[in-house]
Amino acid sequence: MKKRILNILESIGYTCIRFLSQIGNFFIFCISSIFWAIRPPWYFKQIHSQIIDIGYFSLPVVGLTTFFSGMVLALQTSIGFSEFNSESTVARVVLTSITKELGPVLTGLMVAGRVGAKMAAEIATMKVTEQIDALGTLGTRPMQYLIAPKLIASLICVPFLVLIGNTIGILGGYVIAIYKLDFNPDLYLYATIEHLYWIDVVQGLVKASIFGFLISMLSCYFGYNASRGAEGVGYATTSAVVTSSVMILTSTYIITALFFG
Amino acid sequence: MDQSYKKKKIEIRNLTKKFNEKIILKNINFDLYEGESLAIIGASGSGKSVLLKNIIGLLKPEAGSIKINNVETVNLSRSKRENLLLELGITFQHGALFDSLTIWENVIFKIQRINKLSKIDGQKLALDIIKNLGLGSDILNLYPSEISGGMQKRIAIARAISSDPSILLFDEPTSGLDPVTGSVIDELIVKSVKRLCASAITITHDMASVSRIADKVILIDDQTISWTGKPNEMLKSNNAKIQQFIKALNPKLFK
Repeated sequence: MKKRILNILESIGYTCIRFLSQIGNFFIFCISSIFWAIRPPWYFKQIHSQIIDIGYFSLPVVGLTTFFSGMVLALQTSIGFSEFNSESTVARVVLTSITKELGPVLTGLMVAGRVGAKMAAEIATMKVTEQIDALGTLGTRPMQYLIAPKLIASLICVPFLVLIGNTIGILGGYVIAIYKLDFNPDLYLYATIEHLYWIDVVQGLVKASIFGFLISMLSCYFGYNASRGAEGVGYATTSAVVTSSVMILTSTYIITALFFG
Repeated sequence: MDQSYKKKKIEIRNLTKKFNEKIILKNINFDLYEGESLAIIGASGSGKSVLLKNIIGLLKPEAGSIKINNVETVNLSRSKRENLLLELGITFQHGALFDSLTIWENVIFKIQRINKLSKIDGQKLALDIIKNLGLGSDILNLYPSEISGGMQKRIAIARAISSDPSILLFDEPTSGLDPVTGSVIDELIVKSVKRLCASAITITHDMASVSRIADKVILIDDQTISWTGKPNEMLKSNNAKIQQFIKALNPKLFK
């Protein structure tokens, strides 16, 4: 019995130590990535290709998600606020929800699913097929050539995607409000503009930058530390997407509570 | 042959490597001289690739010294190591060509890091290099996944020799290839080493390769070097481990 309890305690201790060591390693990885991202030479071809991949190719999925979210938000809010001044209230709820929360979070989740998985799988494959080792022997620093462009591109593209996602989401709300709920277009538009505060947009963009950082760093970290062949690539990809998604949903609360609460 | 007048390109002394508490290599000592071609043989998991990774700095030994061109590399700073690596040409076990780059971009990858070349100049240079390895311009714009395993190995050699290094390191260059393609790769290695007047270390399981490419052979067994000699001395050797190794790999030789 005593041995069994000791075994359980040992496995808990081992898990805790492993978890803390992973956090420590991730922290060092982040610092190292930032260091190499701000240090020349910058691989502009790689940065450009990442910007296209993250920014341009994520647009359809981000646009579609935020558009329908704006639509459903307008529809649900109109039911709840049908007895009040609906035009103003629905416009305000759609605007605030999208710019402060839904836009960044949905964009973050979509980018994590699409780009994060790709980044992790790409780097993990390079790791298990010795391509990263080969890079190091060919006069190129893997952190600078592989990781830094992904970090830089994510920091540029995710806020940009959030801005576009916000606009499309608000447009989705407008479409439902005008064509399904028969709201007055001028009044709805006026209410939207009236309640558009720069601090809400900034809040969304701050979150977007942090999400961009988290997605690129977590995906690259899991990919870079992959092992055990194809199984390792799968594990790295799953870990990257799951951890990024959880971190997005957790950090959005922390950011709001700490800085905008 | 007396090597004393020749320059040592790589000098390894008392190298020990562990993973956690498990000892992989213990007290490894050998020298690679100028113009010499050395083959390292040993069973799978005996630590041959680990030894190679220690030499190029991807792994750090727990003890011992590794000198390349008379420069101690074990605790060398990152930038000095990077400069030293420019003098080395390395091929990895599975080729390790970059999937996202075309063949010509792979071949001149190292040169591009030193001198920026235009696309036309880069392709021209890559073509010059791969022509020497019996390949043509038709594959220049393909991706590694679009060419055969044998061609991938040749491109890996092309990438390794592209910057005219003085030391070449090959990790199982013929693994996974049929005997005919394997012998072509061996010929290319011999030709490249001669053309560059380079020193080479080749890790292999293939005894036919050893006889074709090596001047000297090292057998790694039980964490350490258990036999050193010339390829033609292997069959005559009374060393039990070398006999066991040859028998296991090439039983026909003993029939």
